[in-house]
Amino acid sequence: MAEMVSMKSMRTPRDCFAKLAIYCAALLVCAAFAWILSDIARGGMAHLSLDFVIGSPRDAGRAGGIGSILVSTALVLAIALMAALPLGWTTAALLAEYVSAGSRFGGAVRYSLQVLAAVPSIVFGLFGNAFFSIYLGLGFSILSGGLTLACMLLPILVSTAESGLRAIPDAHRLSAAALGMSRTSTLFRLLLPIAAPSLAAGLLLGIGRAIAETAALLFTSGYVDRTPGSLLDSGRTLAVHIFDLSMNVPGGDAAAYASALVLIAALLLINMVAMRLATDWQRRKIMAENSNGYSNIDAPRA
Amino acid sequence: MRIFSTKKYALFIAALLLVNGWAQPGNAAPEKLVLTGASTIAPLAAEIARRFEAQHPGTRIDVQTGGSSRGINDTRNGTAGIGMVSRALKPAEQDLQAHTIALDGVGLILNASNPISGLSRQQVIDIYTGKIINWKTLGGRDAPITAINKAEGRSTLELFLGYLKLKNSDIRPHVIIGDNAQGIKTVAGNPNAIGYVSIGAAEYEARHGTPIKLLPLDGVAATVVNVRNGTFPLSRPLNLVTRAAPQGLARDFIAFARSEQVHDLVEAQYFVPVGFR
Repeated sequence: MAEMVSMKSMRTPRDCFAKLAIYCAALLVCAAFAWILSDIARGGMAHLSLDFVIGSPRDAGRAGGIGSILVSTALVLAIALMAALPLGWTTAALLAEYVSAGSRFGGAVRYSLQVLAAVPSIVFGLFGNAFFSIYLGLGFSILSGGLTLACMLLPILVSTAESGLRAIPDAHRLSAAALGMSRTSTLFRLLLPIAAPSLAAGLLLGIGRAIAETAALLFTSGYVDRTPGSLLDSGRTLAVHIFDLSMNVPGGDAAAYASALVLIAALLLINMVAMRLATDWQRRKIMAENSNGYSNIDAPRA
Repeated sequence: MRIFSTKKYALFIAALLLVNGWAQPGNAAPEKLVLTGASTIAPLAAEIARRFEAQHPGTRIDVQTGGSSRGINDTRNGTAGIGMVSRALKPAEQDLQAHTIALDGVGLILNASNPISGLSRQQVIDIYTGKIINWKTLGGRDAPITAINKAEGRSTLELFLGYLKLKNSDIRPHVIIGDNAQGIKTVAGNPNAIGYVSIGAAEYEARHGTPIKLLPLDGVAATVVNVRNGTFPLSRPLNLVTRAAPQGLARDFIAFARSEQVHDLVEAQYFVPVGFR
């Protein structure tokens, strides 16, 4: 009976209106993305070519390409992820698996991460400049830029990974314990693979934030647009390049649009690859070991 | 944590450090010079640096940005060998030495659809102090004026205030902007806006179809030519500053930046080379 009633109420005008509003909101979100993408594509398509992607900038970026800038961007991103991923995911494992939800220590860690997440990026830039560049003597370098970004990424990585781990039902942990699995192997063989999609989501959010960062990097990895020869060289990232072209170089708009197009394409590519890696890894860890008979626990269906 | 296995991760880091360490001796520890300062000069300085490096193998010129004030600070505390300052040095900054590499004029711009064709100095003062708030007062259409000012610390702001003999606290701006290109975009998008930006940049944008126009000042047309011959009243030097008389690489670079060899680069950035007067 109850089901009949709810089925009927689905068709009241108010529900139709609610449904319409929800669809409109979703469409609006898609429209915003499509608008931005088409605007950038229109402005940058003509300027985009293979030479642009692999060449070095000339004439303050109006001519030439962004090859050296892509190299710097990749290096800064790699440094940031290498520093932040182990730290962040380990902290998340600690918060979710090793300390109880109400513990004081956990609370302190979580609180400091929340504060860190709310800090504006220019503050990270000034901190990075003062600490990595000047105090540690790294100067304007890829290394100080990457480490500054790592500080920015920590809260995102930790909170997404922690919530991913917490969402796993305790039944999994109990079954693993009942089978005599150690805590470490439970974590590595079971919990982390199950949480892989949320780890990947956090990773993507982090990469997105890192790759879009301008303010923090202007003061740390710097403005030099030649191909970096070492991690201690200064290197301009793509976002800084776009900012400089659109705000500081008269006549740099076409190159700025084309660079933005490359940036978005790179982000889409990274998104797809990371999602693929995560699902592959999850399948390999859980399915393969299932068939070998190591563990009998089903992967949860998403 | 283990999208790469731990072993692969360690190998990757090892490889990265190895490549890093291996790259160093190849460059034979190049002589390095760091420039920081005005974002207006940075693109020009980067271009000059590129040409300088090509002619002097074994040197490295790193150009950073962050504003004139930062250039002064970094030069004083030694973080940078040369500072970039897009104005003349103030009396309090006479501990530094300035080397002018180019000139830049600052001109008032309006949207191209605005019928106003010229403003007196007093009218500009009245607009920026909020005494005149409608274009009708000046013989234009009936529309409120949007006055665009530059952010604190920008050299164009200081130059503009010095010309009008105003303090920044007297100004009643509606929009505050940072860079030249931002000012041009704001005026191009708002038919009732007035702003002031680098003449070279504004001339370039106006020539390429951006709907803005430059106003003459004290009856002198705002053109690169008039900045070069010194008749335009609102112009500024673009300076490289050093703590003491420059030595070695810094001296060579400054001499190069002031030489005829870079005039094409200066003009390509819409500035006016020195030594043409």
